[in-house]
Amino acid sequence: MMENANPNSIISIRNIWKYFGKNVALQDVSLDIAAGERVVVIGPSGSGKSTLLRSINRLEEIDRGHILVQGKDITDHHNDINVMRRNLGMVFQQFNLFPHKTVLQNVTLAPIKLLKLSRKKAEDRAFALLKRVGISDKANVYPAQLSGGQQQRVAIARALAMQPAIMLFDEPTSALDPEMVGEVLDVMVNLAEDGMTMVCVTHEMGFARTVADRIIFMDQGQILEMGAPDRIFTAPRHPRLRQFLNQIL
Amino acid sequence: MQDKIEGQSKGNIVMVTEENAMPDSRDGQSKNTIIMVTEGPSIPDPREWRIVNAWSIALAGAVITLCCLAWFKPEPYREILTFVPDGLAATFQVTLLSICCAVPLGLLTGLGRISRNRLINLVASTYVEVIRGIPLLVQIFYFYYALSGLLQLSRTAAAVISISFCYGAYMGEVFRAGILAISKGQTEAARSLGFNRFQTMFYVILPQAWRTILPPIGNECIAMLKDTALVSVVSMPDLMQRARSFANNSYLYFETYTVVALIYLIITLLLSKVVSIMESRLNYYDGKR
Repeated sequence: MMENANPNSIISIRNIWKYFGKNVALQDVSLDIAAGERVVVIGPSGSGKSTLLRSINRLEEIDRGHILVQGKDITDHHNDINVMRRNLGMVFQQFNLFPHKTVLQNVTLAPIKLLKLSRKKAEDRAFALLKRVGISDKANVYPAQLSGGQQQRVAIARALAMQPAIMLFDEPTSALDPEMVGEVLDVMVNLAEDGMTMVCVTHEMGFARTVADRIIFMDQGQILEMGAPDRIFTAPRHPRLRQFLNQIL
Repeated sequence: MQDKIEGQSKGNIVMVTEENAMPDSRDGQSKNTIIMVTEGPSIPDPREWRIVNAWSIALAGAVITLCCLAWFKPEPYREILTFVPDGLAATFQVTLLSICCAVPLGLLTGLGRISRNRLINLVASTYVEVIRGIPLLVQIFYFYYALSGLLQLSRTAAAVISISFCYGAYMGEVFRAGILAISKGQTEAARSLGFNRFQTMFYVILPQAWRTILPPIGNECIAMLKDTALVSVVSMPDLMQRARSFANNSYLYFETYTVVALIYLIITLLLSKVVSIMESRLNYYDGKR
Protein backbone atom coordinates (compact mmCIF):
# COMPACT_ATOMS: atom_id res chain seq x y z
CA MET A 1 0.00 0.00 0.00
CA MET A 2 2.84 2.34 0.83
CA GLU A 3 5.69 2.75 -1.55
CA ASN A 4 9.19 2.34 -0.11
CA ALA A 5 8.05 1.60 3.42
CA ASN A 6 11.06 0.01 5.04
CA PRO A 7 10.04 -3.40 6.39
CA ASN A 8 12.64 -3.19 9.16
CA SER A 9 11.36 0.04 10.61
CA ILE A 10 8.96 0.07 13.55
CA ILE A 11 7.93 3.63 12.70
CA SER A 12 7.75 4.77 9.13
CA ILE A 13 6.96 8.42 8.54
CA ARG A 14 6.17 9.18 4.91
CA ASN A 15 5.97 12.71 3.47
CA ILE A 16 3.87 14.20 6.23
CA TRP A 17 2.58 17.76 6.23
CA LYS A 18 0.94 19.62 9.07
CA TYR A 19 -0.51 23.11 9.08
CA PHE A 20 -1.64 25.26 11.98
CA GLY A 21 -3.90 27.68 10.19
CA LYS A 22 -1.68 29.18 7.53
CA ASN A 23 1.55 28.26 9.28
CA VAL A 24 3.22 25.12 8.13
CA ALA A 25 4.51 23.08 11.07
CA LEU A 26 5.79 20.06 9.18
CA GLN A 27 6.83 20.15 5.54
CA ASP A 28 7.15 16.87 3.76
CA VAL A 29 8.91 15.08 6.62
CA SER A 30 9.96 11.47 6.13
CA LEU A 31 11.74 9.33 8.67
CA ASP A 32 12.29 5.65 9.42
CA ILE A 33 12.97 4.40 12.91
CA ALA A 34 14.14 0.85 13.50
CA ALA A 35 13.00 -1.36 16.37
CA GLY A 36 15.23 -0.78 19.37
CA GLU A 37 16.60 2.45 17.97
CA ARG A 38 17.02 5.51 20.19
CA VAL A 39 16.30 8.65 18.24
CA VAL A 40 16.74 12.11 19.70
CA VAL A 41 15.15 15.07 17.97
CA ILE A 42 16.75 18.46 18.54
CA GLY A 43 16.12 21.88 17.13
CA PRO A 44 15.09 25.41 18.06
CA SER A 45 11.64 25.98 19.53
CA GLY A 46 8.95 26.16 16.89
CA SER A 47 10.93 23.89 14.60
CA GLY A 48 8.15 21.29 14.56
CA LYS A 49 9.91 18.64 16.63
CA SER A 50 7.12 18.29 19.19
CA THR A 51 4.53 18.29 16.41
CA LEU A 52 6.43 15.49 14.68
CA LEU A 53 6.51 13.46 17.90
CA ARG A 54 2.84 14.09 18.66
CA SER A 55 1.90 13.09 15.12
CA ILE A 56 3.26 9.61 15.74
CA ASN A 57 0.45 8.77 18.20
CA ARG A 58 -2.00 11.07 16.46
CA LEU A 59 -2.30 13.61 19.23
CA GLU A 60 -1.80 15.87 16.22
CA GLU A 61 -3.70 14.95 13.10
CA ILE A 62 -1.46 15.41 10.11
CA ASP A 63 -2.87 17.00 6.98
CA ARG A 64 -1.05 14.90 4.41
CA GLY A 65 1.20 11.86 4.33
CA HIS A 66 1.25 8.59 6.23
CA ILE A 67 2.72 7.26 9.45
CA LEU A 68 3.10 3.51 9.84
CA VAL A 69 3.62 2.12 13.29
CA GLN A 70 4.48 -1.57 13.28
CA GLY A 71 3.21 -1.70 9.73
CA LYS A 72 -0.18 -0.15 10.50
CA ASP A 73 -1.13 3.25 9.18
CA ILE A 74 -2.19 5.43 12.11
CA THR A 75 -3.77 7.93 9.73
CA ASP A 76 -6.11 5.23 8.45
CA HIS A 77 -9.35 5.65 10.36
CA HIS A 78 -10.16 1.98 9.91
CA ASN A 79 -7.38 1.21 12.37
CA ASP A 80 -8.41 1.67 15.99
CA ILE A 81 -6.15 4.44 17.20
CA ASN A 82 -7.00 3.66 20.84
CA VAL A 83 -5.56 0.18 20.48
CA MET A 84 -2.54 1.43 18.55
CA ARG A 85 -1.80 4.04 21.21
CA ARG A 86 -1.35 1.29 23.81
CA ASN A 87 1.85 0.47 22.02
CA LEU A 88 3.03 4.08 21.99
CA GLY A 89 3.86 5.23 25.49
CA MET A 90 4.10 8.98 25.84
CA VAL A 91 5.76 11.20 28.42
CA PHE A 92 4.86 14.88 28.46
CA GLN A 93 6.74 18.00 29.39
CA GLN A 94 4.11 18.86 32.04
CA PHE A 95 3.93 15.26 33.40
CA ASN A 96 0.11 15.31 33.20
CA LEU A 97 -0.36 12.87 36.04
CA PHE A 98 -3.98 12.43 37.11
CA PRO A 99 -4.11 14.59 40.25
CA HIS A 100 -7.19 12.89 41.71
CA LYS A 101 -5.49 9.48 41.71
CA THR A 102 -2.65 8.21 43.86
CA VAL A 103 0.67 7.30 42.29
CA LEU A 104 -0.32 3.64 42.31
CA GLN A 105 -3.74 4.39 40.78
CA ASN A 106 -2.10 6.52 38.09
CA VAL A 107 0.00 3.55 37.06
CA THR A 108 -2.75 0.90 37.35
CA LEU A 109 -5.69 2.80 35.83
CA ALA A 110 -5.01 2.05 32.17
CA PRO A 111 -3.91 -1.59 32.63
CA ILE A 112 -7.02 -2.34 34.69
CA LYS A 113 -9.51 -0.53 32.47
CA LEU A 114 -7.96 -1.16 29.06
CA LEU A 115 -5.99 -4.39 29.35
CA LYS A 116 -8.55 -5.82 31.83
CA LEU A 117 -5.80 -6.86 34.21
CA SER A 118 -6.88 -7.88 37.69
CA ARG A 119 -6.16 -5.29 40.36
CA LYS A 120 -3.60 -7.60 41.92
CA LYS A 121 -1.76 -8.16 38.66
CA ALA A 122 -1.84 -4.48 37.74
CA GLU A 123 -0.51 -3.50 41.16
CA ASP A 124 2.28 -6.06 40.98
CA ARG A 125 3.25 -4.62 37.63
CA ALA A 126 2.98 -1.08 38.97
CA PHE A 127 5.16 -1.80 42.00
CA ALA A 128 7.82 -3.34 39.79
CA LEU A 129 7.79 -0.25 37.58
CA LEU A 130 7.78 2.18 40.49
CA LYS A 131 10.75 0.33 41.91
CA ARG A 132 12.48 0.60 38.59
CA VAL A 133 11.99 4.39 38.50
CA GLY A 134 12.98 4.59 42.16
CA ILE A 135 9.80 5.74 43.89
CA SER A 136 8.10 2.61 45.19
CA ASP A 137 7.88 4.22 48.62
CA LYS A 138 5.50 6.89 47.26
CA ALA A 139 2.89 4.52 45.86
CA ASN A 140 0.05 5.81 48.00
CA VAL A 141 0.57 9.55 47.84
CA TYR A 142 -1.09 11.98 45.45
CA PRO A 143 0.95 13.61 42.67
CA ALA A 144 0.68 17.05 44.27
CA GLN A 145 2.84 15.77 47.12
CA LEU A 146 5.70 14.84 44.79
CA SER A 147 8.51 16.91 43.34
CA GLY A 148 8.60 17.53 39.61
CA GLY A 149 11.27 14.92 39.07
CA GLN A 150 9.31 12.34 41.03
CA GLN A 151 6.14 13.17 39.10
CA GLN A 152 7.91 12.72 35.80
CA ARG A 153 9.28 9.35 36.90
CA VAL A 154 5.75 8.28 37.83
CA ALA A 155 4.61 9.46 34.41
CA ILE A 156 7.24 7.23 32.81
CA ALA A 157 6.09 4.30 34.95
CA ARG A 158 2.48 5.00 33.97
CA ALA A 159 3.37 4.89 30.28
CA LEU A 160 5.44 1.72 30.74
CA ALA A 161 2.58 -0.03 32.53
CA MET A 162 0.89 -0.53 29.17
CA GLN A 163 4.06 -2.33 28.04
CA PRO A 164 4.43 -0.27 24.89
CA ALA A 165 6.84 -1.19 22.13
CA ILE A 166 7.79 2.44 21.65
CA MET A 167 8.23 5.32 24.05
CA LEU A 168 7.76 8.93 22.97
CA PHE A 169 9.27 11.65 25.15
CA ASP A 170 8.17 15.25 24.58
CA GLU A 171 10.78 17.45 26.30
CA PRO A 172 10.52 15.39 29.49
CA THR A 173 12.97 17.49 31.48
CA SER A 174 12.12 20.99 30.25
CA ALA A 175 9.68 21.77 33.07
CA LEU A 176 11.99 20.48 35.81
CA ASP A 177 14.20 22.35 38.22
CA PRO A 178 17.82 21.77 37.21
CA GLU A 179 18.63 19.57 40.19
CA MET A 180 15.87 17.14 39.19
CA VAL A 181 16.84 16.69 35.56
CA GLY A 182 19.43 14.05 36.41
CA GLU A 183 17.06 11.64 38.15
CA VAL A 184 14.70 11.62 35.17
CA LEU A 185 17.49 11.24 32.63
CA ASP A 186 18.89 8.32 34.64
CA VAL A 187 15.58 6.51 34.29
CA MET A 188 15.57 7.19 30.56
CA VAL A 189 19.15 5.99 30.12
CA ASN A 190 18.22 2.85 32.02
CA LEU A 191 15.26 2.36 29.69
CA ALA A 192 17.44 2.89 26.63
CA GLU A 193 19.91 0.29 27.86
CA ASP A 194 17.05 -2.22 28.04
CA GLY A 195 16.54 -1.87 24.30
CA MET A 196 13.31 0.15 24.31
CA THR A 197 12.59 1.96 21.06
CA MET A 198 12.66 5.62 22.02
CA VAL A 199 11.91 8.86 20.25
CA CYS A 200 12.85 11.79 22.40
CA VAL A 201 12.51 15.50 21.85
CA THR A 202 14.92 17.19 24.23
CA HIS A 203 17.30 20.06 24.86
CA GLU A 204 19.58 17.87 26.97
CA MET A 205 22.55 17.53 24.67
CA GLY A 206 24.53 15.44 27.14
CA PHE A 207 21.71 12.92 27.20
CA ALA A 208 21.41 13.02 23.41
CA ARG A 209 25.08 12.31 23.07
CA THR A 210 25.22 9.38 25.46
CA VAL A 211 21.95 7.66 24.61
CA ALA A 212 21.03 8.39 21.00
CA ASP A 213 21.76 6.05 18.12
CA ARG A 214 20.79 8.86 15.84
CA ILE A 215 20.19 12.55 16.19
CA ILE A 216 17.67 14.40 14.06
CA PHE A 217 18.01 18.14 13.66
CA MET A 218 14.85 20.00 12.70
CA ASP A 219 14.19 23.58 11.78
CA GLN A 220 11.12 25.23 10.24
CA GLY A 221 9.23 21.98 9.94
CA GLN A 222 11.94 20.10 8.11
CA ILE A 223 14.63 17.60 8.98
CA LEU A 224 17.80 19.40 8.00
CA GLU A 225 20.34 16.87 9.15
CA MET A 226 20.58 13.52 10.85
CA GLY A 227 23.33 11.22 11.92
CA ALA A 228 25.23 9.57 14.74
CA PRO A 229 25.70 11.84 17.76
CA ASP A 230 29.49 12.03 17.42
CA ARG A 231 29.23 13.14 13.85
CA ILE A 232 26.42 15.63 14.52
CA PHE A 233 28.19 17.28 17.44
CA THR A 234 31.74 17.24 16.07
CA ALA A 235 31.18 17.72 12.37
CA PRO A 236 27.83 19.40 11.72
CA ARG A 237 27.31 20.08 8.04
CA HIS A 238 24.25 22.25 7.75
CA PRO A 239 24.97 25.91 8.60
CA ARG A 240 21.72 26.14 10.57
CA LEU A 241 22.81 23.20 12.74
CA ARG A 242 26.22 24.76 13.31
CA GLN A 243 24.55 27.98 14.35
CA PHE A 244 22.15 26.11 16.66
CA LEU A 245 24.94 24.14 18.31
CA ASN A 246 26.99 27.29 18.80
CA GLN A 247 24.09 28.90 20.57
CA ILE A 248 23.41 26.10 23.01
CA LEU A 249 26.80 24.53 23.68
CA MET B 1 -6.67 32.72 22.65
CA GLN B 2 -9.06 35.34 23.78
CA ASP B 3 -11.16 35.07 26.83
CA LYS B 4 -14.51 36.67 27.04
CA ILE B 5 -16.81 37.26 29.91
CA GLU B 6 -20.11 35.62 29.43
CA GLY B 7 -22.83 37.14 31.51
CA GLN B 8 -25.98 35.16 31.77
CA SER B 9 -29.47 36.43 31.44
CA LYS B 10 -30.59 35.17 34.80
CA GLY B 11 -27.64 36.89 36.36
CA ASN B 12 -26.68 34.18 38.77
CA ILE B 13 -23.47 32.92 37.22
CA VAL B 14 -20.67 34.77 35.58
CA MET B 15 -18.19 32.67 33.74
CA VAL B 16 -14.98 33.48 32.01
CA THR B 17 -14.85 31.00 29.22
CA GLU B 18 -12.91 30.24 26.14
CA GLU B 19 -14.04 32.10 23.07
CA ASN B 20 -14.06 28.83 21.26
CA ALA B 21 -16.08 26.09 22.89
CA MET B 22 -14.58 23.40 20.71
CA PRO B 23 -11.47 21.89 22.25
CA ASP B 24 -8.50 22.95 20.18
CA SER B 25 -5.84 20.33 20.39
CA ARG B 26 -2.79 22.25 19.42
CA ASP B 27 -2.76 24.70 22.25
CA GLY B 28 -1.59 22.97 25.40
CA GLN B 29 -1.93 26.01 27.59
CA SER B 30 -4.13 25.65 30.58
CA LYS B 31 -7.28 27.66 30.41
CA ASN B 32 -8.13 30.28 32.93
CA THR B 33 -11.69 29.32 33.48
CA ILE B 34 -13.24 30.41 36.71
CA ILE B 35 -16.75 30.04 37.93
CA MET B 36 -18.10 32.69 40.16
CA VAL B 37 -21.41 32.58 41.86
CA THR B 38 -23.15 35.83 42.56
CA GLU B 39 -26.62 34.79 43.57
CA GLY B 40 -27.88 33.18 46.71
CA PRO B 41 -26.04 32.96 49.99
CA SER B 42 -22.33 32.83 49.37
CA ILE B 43 -20.75 29.47 50.01
CA PRO B 44 -18.73 29.96 53.21
CA ASP B 45 -15.02 29.61 52.64
CA PRO B 46 -13.79 26.85 54.99
CA ARG B 47 -10.53 28.73 55.49
CA GLU B 48 -12.49 31.53 57.09
CA TRP B 49 -14.30 29.66 59.77
CA ARG B 50 -14.38 32.45 62.22
CA ILE B 51 -17.19 32.81 64.74
CA VAL B 52 -18.17 36.21 63.42
CA ASN B 53 -18.83 36.29 59.72
CA ALA B 54 -21.73 37.17 57.48
CA TRP B 55 -22.98 33.62 57.47
CA SER B 56 -23.05 33.15 61.24
CA ILE B 57 -24.54 36.59 61.84
CA ALA B 58 -27.31 35.91 59.35
CA LEU B 59 -28.06 32.46 60.74
CA ALA B 60 -27.95 33.51 64.38
CA GLY B 61 -30.01 36.59 63.61
CA ALA B 62 -32.67 34.58 61.80
CA VAL B 63 -32.90 31.87 64.43
CA ILE B 64 -32.94 34.32 67.34
CA THR B 65 -35.53 36.53 65.68
CA LEU B 66 -37.79 33.59 64.99
CA CYS B 67 -37.45 32.26 68.53
CA CYS B 68 -38.04 35.67 70.08
CA LEU B 69 -41.12 36.24 67.98
CA ALA B 70 -42.55 32.88 68.96
CA TRP B 71 -41.65 33.37 72.62
CA PHE B 72 -42.60 36.98 73.24
CA LYS B 73 -45.43 37.32 70.79
CA PRO B 74 -47.04 33.90 70.59
CA GLU B 75 -50.14 35.48 69.14
CA PRO B 76 -50.04 35.25 66.11
CA TYR B 77 -46.52 33.93 65.53
CA ARG B 78 -46.97 30.51 67.06
CA GLU B 79 -50.09 30.05 65.01
CA ILE B 80 -48.18 30.96 61.86
CA LEU B 81 -45.35 28.66 62.86
CA THR B 82 -47.68 25.71 63.28
CA PHE B 83 -49.59 26.35 60.07
CA VAL B 84 -46.99 27.39 57.50
CA PRO B 85 -44.23 24.71 57.86
CA ASP B 86 -46.69 22.08 56.62
CA GLY B 87 -45.62 23.35 53.21
CA LEU B 88 -41.99 22.37 53.80
CA ALA B 89 -42.69 18.82 52.68
CA ALA B 90 -43.91 20.00 49.30
CA THR B 91 -41.06 22.49 48.99
CA PHE B 92 -38.45 19.81 49.68
CA GLN B 93 -40.25 17.28 47.52
CA VAL B 94 -40.24 19.58 44.51
CA THR B 95 -36.65 20.64 45.17
CA LEU B 96 -35.27 17.12 45.54
CA LEU B 97 -37.13 15.75 42.54
CA SER B 98 -35.98 18.73 40.48
CA ILE B 99 -32.36 18.24 41.56
CA CYS B 100 -32.57 14.57 40.60
CA CYS B 101 -33.74 15.56 37.12
CA ALA B 102 -31.78 18.78 36.61
CA VAL B 103 -28.30 17.51 37.51
CA PRO B 104 -28.26 14.65 34.95
CA LEU B 105 -29.91 16.97 32.43
CA GLY B 106 -27.26 19.59 33.14
CA LEU B 107 -24.48 17.03 32.72
CA LEU B 108 -25.92 15.89 29.39
CA THR B 109 -26.33 19.50 28.29
CA GLY B 110 -22.78 20.38 29.31
CA LEU B 111 -21.41 17.36 27.44
CA GLY B 112 -23.59 18.27 24.47
CA ARG B 113 -22.28 21.81 24.47
CA ILE B 114 -18.68 20.62 24.17
CA SER B 115 -19.49 17.77 21.80
CA ARG B 116 -17.72 17.67 18.48
CA ASN B 117 -20.87 16.34 16.92
CA ARG B 118 -22.47 19.36 15.29
CA LEU B 119 -26.03 18.16 15.69
CA ILE B 120 -25.72 17.30 19.38
CA ASN B 121 -23.92 20.57 19.96
CA LEU B 122 -26.65 22.52 18.19
CA VAL B 123 -29.46 20.79 20.09
CA ALA B 124 -27.79 21.45 23.46
CA SER B 125 -26.95 25.06 22.62
CA THR B 126 -30.44 25.80 21.33
CA TYR B 127 -31.98 24.30 24.45
CA VAL B 128 -29.81 26.51 26.63
CA GLU B 129 -30.56 29.62 24.59
CA VAL B 130 -34.31 29.02 24.57
CA ILE B 131 -34.62 28.20 28.26
CA ARG B 132 -32.41 31.06 29.36
CA GLY B 133 -34.60 33.48 27.48
CA ILE B 134 -37.85 32.49 29.18
CA PRO B 135 -38.68 33.38 32.79
CA LEU B 136 -39.16 30.40 35.07
CA LEU B 137 -42.59 31.66 36.05
CA VAL B 138 -43.67 31.59 32.42
CA GLN B 139 -42.25 28.08 32.06
CA ILE B 140 -44.27 26.88 35.06
CA PHE B 141 -47.46 28.38 33.62
CA TYR B 142 -46.60 26.87 30.28
CA PHE B 143 -46.23 23.32 31.53
CA TYR B 144 -49.22 23.49 33.84
CA TYR B 145 -51.75 25.59 31.94
CA ALA B 146 -50.66 26.02 28.34
CA LEU B 147 -49.88 22.36 27.80
CA SER B 148 -52.79 21.12 29.91
CA GLY B 149 -54.75 20.14 26.81
CA LEU B 150 -51.84 18.04 25.66
CA LEU B 151 -50.19 16.64 28.77
CA GLN B 152 -52.54 16.88 31.78
CA LEU B 153 -49.63 17.14 34.19
CA SER B 154 -50.19 17.05 37.90
CA ARG B 155 -49.09 20.09 39.88
CA THR B 156 -46.01 18.32 41.15
CA ALA B 157 -45.07 17.02 37.72
CA ALA B 158 -45.51 20.43 36.09
CA ALA B 159 -43.48 22.07 38.85
CA VAL B 160 -40.67 19.52 38.72
CA ILE B 161 -40.49 19.45 34.92
CA SER B 162 -40.44 23.21 34.49
CA ILE B 163 -37.85 23.75 37.24
CA SER B 164 -35.70 20.87 35.95
CA PHE B 165 -35.75 22.15 32.40
CA CYS B 166 -34.86 25.63 33.56
CA TYR B 167 -32.06 24.62 35.91
CA GLY B 168 -30.80 21.91 33.58
CA ALA B 169 -29.87 24.65 31.15
CA TYR B 170 -28.07 26.72 33.76
CA MET B 171 -26.30 23.69 35.18
CA GLY B 172 -25.31 22.70 31.66
CA GLU B 173 -23.27 25.88 31.48
CA VAL B 174 -21.66 25.10 34.83
CA PHE B 175 -20.75 21.58 33.73
CA ARG B 176 -19.40 22.89 30.46
CA ALA B 177 -17.20 25.48 32.15
CA GLY B 178 -16.02 22.97 34.75
CA ILE B 179 -15.06 20.42 32.11
CA LEU B 180 -13.27 23.01 29.98
CA ALA B 181 -11.34 24.15 33.04
CA ILE B 182 -9.46 20.83 33.19
CA SER B 183 -6.20 21.23 31.33
CA LYS B 184 -5.82 19.79 27.87
CA GLY B 185 -2.84 17.80 29.13
CA GLN B 186 -5.14 15.54 31.15
CA THR B 187 -7.07 14.58 28.05
CA GLU B 188 -3.87 14.05 26.10
CA ALA B 189 -2.36 11.88 28.82
CA ALA B 190 -5.47 9.70 28.96
CA ARG B 191 -5.80 9.47 25.18
CA SER B 192 -2.11 8.61 24.80
CA LEU B 193 -2.61 5.63 27.14
CA GLY B 194 -5.36 4.37 24.83
CA PHE B 195 -8.53 5.63 26.53
CA ASN B 196 -11.25 6.67 24.12
CA ARG B 197 -13.13 9.95 24.46
CA PHE B 198 -15.87 8.49 26.61
CA GLN B 199 -13.47 6.73 28.99
CA THR B 200 -11.31 9.84 29.21
CA MET B 201 -14.31 11.91 30.19
CA PHE B 202 -15.55 9.49 32.86
CA TYR B 203 -12.29 8.23 34.37
CA VAL B 204 -10.17 11.35 34.15
CA ILE B 205 -11.97 14.60 33.36
CA LEU B 206 -15.28 14.46 35.23
CA PRO B 207 -13.82 13.26 38.55
CA GLN B 208 -11.58 16.33 38.49
CA ALA B 209 -14.15 18.73 37.06
CA TRP B 210 -16.56 17.72 39.78
CA ARG B 211 -14.55 19.79 42.28
CA THR B 212 -14.89 22.96 40.27
CA ILE B 213 -18.47 22.15 39.46
CA LEU B 214 -19.77 21.23 42.90
CA PRO B 215 -19.90 24.69 44.54
CA PRO B 216 -21.84 26.37 41.72
CA ILE B 217 -24.06 23.30 41.32
CA GLY B 218 -24.71 23.34 45.05
CA ASN B 219 -25.60 26.98 44.79
CA GLU B 220 -27.89 26.28 41.86
CA CYS B 221 -29.65 23.70 44.02
CA ILE B 222 -30.11 26.26 46.77
CA ALA B 223 -31.38 28.79 44.25
CA MET B 224 -33.71 26.07 43.02
CA LEU B 225 -35.13 25.62 46.50
CA LYS B 226 -35.84 29.33 46.62
CA ASP B 227 -37.40 29.30 43.19
CA THR B 228 -39.81 26.56 44.21
CA ALA B 229 -41.68 29.42 45.89
CA LEU B 230 -42.85 30.21 42.37
CA VAL B 231 -44.77 26.97 42.09
CA SER B 232 -47.24 28.32 44.63
CA VAL B 233 -48.84 30.06 41.65
CA VAL B 234 -50.16 26.72 40.44
CA SER B 235 -51.46 26.06 43.97
CA MET B 236 -48.74 23.60 44.83
CA PRO B 237 -49.10 23.44 48.64
CA ASP B 238 -45.53 24.46 49.37
CA LEU B 239 -44.18 26.76 52.06
CA MET B 240 -45.06 29.87 50.07
CA GLN B 241 -48.55 28.66 49.21
CA ARG B 242 -49.26 27.87 52.86
CA ALA B 243 -48.10 31.35 53.77
CA ARG B 244 -50.28 32.91 51.11
CA SER B 245 -53.38 31.11 52.25
CA PHE B 246 -52.70 31.96 55.89
CA ALA B 247 -52.10 35.62 55.08
CA ASN B 248 -55.16 35.83 52.87
CA ASN B 249 -57.38 34.47 55.60
CA SER B 250 -55.90 36.37 58.52
CA TYR B 251 -54.76 39.56 56.78
CA LEU B 252 -51.53 39.24 58.78
CA TYR B 253 -49.32 39.90 55.78
CA PHE B 254 -46.36 41.38 57.63
CA GLU B 255 -46.22 38.68 60.28
CA THR B 256 -46.73 35.76 57.89
CA TYR B 257 -44.21 36.79 55.29
CA THR B 258 -41.65 37.69 57.96
CA VAL B 259 -41.84 34.14 59.25
CA VAL B 260 -41.67 32.68 55.74
CA ALA B 261 -38.67 34.83 54.85
CA LEU B 262 -36.85 33.70 58.01
CA ILE B 263 -37.63 30.04 57.35
CA TYR B 264 -36.31 30.25 53.78
CA LEU B 265 -33.24 32.10 55.02
CA ILE B 266 -32.41 29.51 57.69
CA ILE B 267 -32.81 26.64 55.24
CA THR B 268 -30.62 28.19 52.55
CA LEU B 269 -27.94 29.21 55.05
CA LEU B 270 -27.76 25.68 56.42
CA LEU B 271 -27.63 24.19 52.95
CA SER B 272 -24.84 26.54 51.89
CA LYS B 273 -22.85 25.22 54.84
CA VAL B 274 -23.49 21.66 53.70
CA VAL B 275 -22.19 22.54 50.24
CA SER B 276 -19.11 24.13 51.75
CA ILE B 277 -18.35 21.02 53.81
CA MET B 278 -18.80 18.79 50.77
CA GLU B 279 -16.50 21.05 48.84
CA SER B 280 -13.72 20.87 51.41
CA ARG B 281 -14.02 17.06 51.47
CA LEU B 282 -13.33 17.04 47.75
CA ASN B 283 -10.01 18.79 48.20
CA TYR B 284 -8.29 15.70 49.53
CA TYR B 285 -5.71 15.42 46.78
CA ASP B 286 -4.35 18.95 46.97
CA GLY B 287 -1.72 17.96 49.50
CA LYS B 288 1.34 20.10 49.75
CA ARG B 289 4.73 18.54 49.81
